[in-house]
Amino acid sequence: MNKNIYAPDLAVINKVRDEAEGIKTFTLEFEDGKLKESFDYCPGQFIELTIVGVGEAPISITSSPVNKGYLELSVAAVGKLTRALHLKKAGEFVGLRGPYGNGFAFEKIKGKSVLFVGGGIGLAPLRSLINQLFAYRDNFGKIDILYGARTPGLLCFMDDIEKWGKLKNSEVLLSVDVPDDKWQDNVGVVGSLLPKIELAIENTVAFVCGPPIMIHFVILDLLKMGFGEEQIITTMERRMECGLGKCGHCNIGKSYVCLDGPVFSYQQLKELGENI
Amino acid sequence: MKKVLTTCEFCGCGCNFYLGVEEGKVISVYPSVSHPVSQGKLCIKGWQGHEYIHSPERVKTPLIKEGRKFREASWNEAYQLITNKFNQIRTRYGNDSIAVLSSAKCTNEENYLMQKFARACLGTNNVDHCARLCHASTVIGLNTTFGSGAMTNSIDEIEGADVIFIIGSNTTEQHPLIGDRVLRAIKNGAKVIVADPRESQLAKLCSLYMMLEPGSDVALLNGIMNLIISERLEDKEFIAERTEGFESLKRTVADYTPDKSSGLTGIPEEKIIKAARIYAQSKKSVIIYAMGITQHTTGVDNVMSCANLAMLTGNVGKKFTGVNPLRGQNNVQGACDMGAVPNIFPGYQAVTDEKIRAKFEKAWGVNLPTQPGLTIIEMLNSALEGNVKTIYIMGENPMLSDPDINHVEEALKALDFLVVQDIFLTETASLADVVLPGVSFAEKDGTFTSTERRIQRVRKAIEPLGASKPDWQVIDELSSLLGYPMSYDTPAEIMDEIARLTPIYGGVNYRRLVEEGLQWPCPTLDHPGTPYLHKGSFSRGLGKFCPANYRLPAELPDDAYPFVLTTGRVGFHYHTGTMTRKDWALDREYPSSYVEINSQDAKELGIRNRQVAKVISRRGEISLSAKLVDTIKKGVVFIPFHFAEAAANKLTAANLDPVAKIPEYKVCAVRLERG
Amino acid sequence: MKILDKTKLSQFLEGLGREFQVIAPLHEGKDILFGEFNASKLASDYIGKTRLSPKEYLFPQKEKLFTFEENKAIEIKAHLDETKRVIWGIRPCDLSGIKILSEVYLSDYIDPYYQARKANILLLGLNCNEAEQSCFCSSLGIGPFAQEGFDLLFTDLGDTFLVEIGSKAGENLIEQAANLFTNAVSKDEEQARLLEEKSKKTFRTSIDLEKTKAKIATALDNHVWDEEAGKCILCGGCNWVCPTCHCFNVEDINAEHKTQRVRYWDSCQLGGFTQMAAYNSRVTQAERLRQRIYHKFSYNPDRYKGQIGCTGCGRCIDVCPAGIDITYILGRVANE
Repeated sequence: MNKNIYAPDLAVINKVRDEAEGIKTFTLEFEDGKLKESFDYCPGQFIELTIVGVGEAPISITSSPVNKGYLELSVAAVGKLTRALHLKKAGEFVGLRGPYGNGFAFEKIKGKSVLFVGGGIGLAPLRSLINQLFAYRDNFGKIDILYGARTPGLLCFMDDIEKWGKLKNSEVLLSVDVPDDKWQDNVGVVGSLLPKIELAIENTVAFVCGPPIMIHFVILDLLKMGFGEEQIITTMERRMECGLGKCGHCNIGKSYVCLDGPVFSYQQLKELGENI
Repeated sequence: MKKVLTTCEFCGCGCNFYLGVEEGKVISVYPSVSHPVSQGKLCIKGWQGHEYIHSPERVKTPLIKEGRKFREASWNEAYQLITNKFNQIRTRYGNDSIAVLSSAKCTNEENYLMQKFARACLGTNNVDHCARLCHASTVIGLNTTFGSGAMTNSIDEIEGADVIFIIGSNTTEQHPLIGDRVLRAIKNGAKVIVADPRESQLAKLCSLYMMLEPGSDVALLNGIMNLIISERLEDKEFIAERTEGFESLKRTVADYTPDKSSGLTGIPEEKIIKAARIYAQSKKSVIIYAMGITQHTTGVDNVMSCANLAMLTGNVGKKFTGVNPLRGQNNVQGACDMGAVPNIFPGYQAVTDEKIRAKFEKAWGVNLPTQPGLTIIEMLNSALEGNVKTIYIMGENPMLSDPDINHVEEALKALDFLVVQDIFLTETASLADVVLPGVSFAEKDGTFTSTERRIQRVRKAIEPLGASKPDWQVIDELSSLLGYPMSYDTPAEIMDEIARLTPIYGGVNYRRLVEEGLQWPCPTLDHPGTPYLHKGSFSRGLGKFCPANYRLPAELPDDAYPFVLTTGRVGFHYHTGTMTRKDWALDREYPSSYVEINSQDAKELGIRNRQVAKVISRRGEISLSAKLVDTIKKGVVFIPFHFAEAAANKLTAANLDPVAKIPEYKVCAVRLERG
Repeated sequence: MKILDKTKLSQFLEGLGREFQVIAPLHEGKDILFGEFNASKLASDYIGKTRLSPKEYLFPQKEKLFTFEENKAIEIKAHLDETKRVIWGIRPCDLSGIKILSEVYLSDYIDPYYQARKANILLLGLNCNEAEQSCFCSSLGIGPFAQEGFDLLFTDLGDTFLVEIGSKAGENLIEQAANLFTNAVSKDEEQARLLEEKSKKTFRTSIDLEKTKAKIATALDNHVWDEEAGKCILCGGCNWVCPTCHCFNVEDINAEHKTQRVRYWDSCQLGGFTQMAAYNSRVTQAERLRQRIYHKFSYNPDRYKGQIGCTGCGRCIDVCPAGIDITYILGRVANE
């Protein structure tokens, strides 16, 4: 018999790291050795995470497929499942199934410059792609990373950010809405960083991920700057119960975010005809 | 799969559906297409609200408190403890040191037994239930004016009305299948008038909406009647033949010109005039009201003013007319009918009437107490004063539903002994010394009486969970152990006894209660039931005009507490949420409480949408999320009372209507702060 | 084509009971509901439709997916229903509904629960000699007489049923009860054809499918969404009765040291359907109403080979306490 598409596989939490205020990063490994070896995914894809007795929720993968054997998930404690996950400690088990969704089109952007605009925990799926790009650095032009959060304490992946900033032909700029005493970088919405970088727009693809309101305004900014609708890529978050195109929750237009997304170009989103 | 036809356990509409049962569990719902109320439709609670039945949180064995914790106990042990305590307390402090709270959620048979238990076994009239908190003013107001305290007409007639005047009822949300009839009437061309401090869904769809000051209902109704009389639109023939006291009404309302009424209610004068003309000029005018009318210190006045208006225009005692209080709980009508109140026996027969009392004494074989007992709020006050020593509560949750919860808690804690019978460990049950596990509507037989006086069967679909027992059986066993033997084998037997003693239920038995049930009065076995009351003559003979002057609510806003708080419900939750908050679909819609506030008020206070706000009254404070709307009157805020963690009734005051003793849930003064 | 005397229907269904769980429309009190066959309750000449379609024999209102055994962290026991089942008396609209559901559940990823039930079910249709007020399947080319999707198809000829064979499995059923059936003659088929013509004339509700298809892409901003949504009382009834609604919610239910993962029918008309921790993508009822109609008439055909996701059964019209009528809405879409 084929495997039950709804059945999760057992995974153990290897490590729990405090990522930012209210945000933790969990390192997970499949219990089954074979599955651990064979499990592969693209940046931008997500898994369905089970906590028995609490339920299941879609969570984007933040680790990069260049690092085999484990998965990282960065999660803000905002809902029922994520709050329960935050109570889990290393050594405890969860259920995983996936990966689901289309992921970022890594091959298609080879040869291009890449702009990332992330807000808060929205950097999680972008981080997966960013690390993959740096692993194949020579295939890409300039890499710009603009990252913002409400407060400095809510900025995630600071280790990565430090590392990315030091790599050649790349730039990382940070911004917060509400600074603290020690803050020395930009203050304002993340879009306010856009004028501060130099871009060869024709050959650049922009990846935008964050809260819906931030995505909305950044896209408007990018369009104004001259980005084509097909050059702007974002990833959508929707309520999902299955991740498999059955439960209907993530349906937007003719698409299911779980099957046809979560990664969409702005052009595609517009065609779906609904609010983003 | 077994399919069992039964009556919905939520509101007073009385819809019927089939429960699908497999492996002893309720797994599906099918509305009854043939049923006169549901007609194959249901609201979200009817479709989706039955998950609680199998909730892991159900209480399935008796619990006895030891120290601060409960431990599981056998029925015998629990019964033993209760009988010992009750006997001790009774011997030491007298019969009236015990009080019982019956339940509008339970069946007629259970309510009948509970009041019989109080009166015949315990020898006290201290029996009440939450009708005190919703429609006590209706029972008294309509009884005084018409001679019967119930909805005069039938749900199905609403669709045929030409004019529907809705005052103090958010009908589509709280009585969805009655809302369905209003929507159909609108489609048929009926004119609908809505008066409410909140612009409800029907207010948006109606022909005339009047946003009134909370608690100014008498001023509005008198203003309407003033115009009707001044324009000679009253039904003179009806007044002459069917009523008494018109002159006194005329004198009272003469003062309330539309202009004055406008000043008192905040409604533009021309709207009052228009409403009066629309209502009076139709011979098929229906009044619908709910707790917006009843839950005031002027509740009885409000109700009587509605009755006055209907009589003034001859819009009562006929099809497609009437004064129609919408009862909130599935069986609050039945619990009243069954005499689960301190002053009446089943069928609204006064306990102070010697002939009536003699009838019950003969039937029950005991001497009965002669004086009316205590109402809910009086019981609690008496507990604080040290007179009431023990309360036995069946299926009610006063720790969330009663006004001024902090006071309720003190009172319940002051008791020597508290027994709570429920399906969940509610906020109230947590305070109990003994908790007895009752069952849900799916686990027992019985009847509910809907808001349109329709007596309908509740049918057992599954076995009681765990060691729980049907509530009627628990009362039966407890009574027997306390020395007043009851030995009913079935609820049908109890109904036969009810029919013998209750003239309005005289012709009712289970063989007759097939699909659509019977509407009381149904005095004899060959009587078909009564779709509308007061045909030809009122239950009391002549209808009595009972004019009322406008009185201000008990607690008005002032500088310290500048807002009026009005409380109520949302369509997705039911009462104290013990059932609906355990259902994924209902909980998903409203997982937590909120305070609805006019956007302009919020702006002035610097409160943003979905931000936490603190609401403070003289009695308590709660924190909850702000919901900014343009559909509530400026200066008024609304909080639903379902949510224990932000209990609206920590804020409300136990200011009572002087006659009906109903608390003023719809008006108290609060202030708001950013949370 | 075969003929079955009406008086022998019970005997036929009774016989099937040896191998199958037989489901048929039954009289329950004054209502008609699908349930396990019982000769004394059989509603063999019912008119119109049951309030809920027999969809739930493939996709139940509430369904256990699996039990997590507590001893180890995750040990899963799946609950597949492989009961061999026959449903008799399915209306053409509901046969079509099952076809639409199957597209969803049996394409891309295969839903094992649906698949297990579908693989073990035989569908015996019953043509409609008369439409109800809300029926509009004829506008969609689905009824009143079924074209496909059945193992056997019954037509009520008065004293007999004309029985059309739709599959090998259906034929087997007849072979096993060969003594109950006779061969149809051309007169019978002619009578059925006349009944179909007559039945088509009983429709009082219709939509203009071609115009709807042509206009729906540009109807996103039609006022009809706001106007009609204002009446919605949020009962979800239109979803609960729909033979093609496939959306579900999944919950973990904890009971006595075991957790069950259970799925339930869900309703896109509820705000919670798209609610996430901090964001809801469809906040107005107008958007939700539009979603329901668009899913049936635009998204479903876009995704599944042009297949409209509506069967024209009209149940959503009958069940709506607010009088929201899909045919009125589609009329506005087609004509504005």
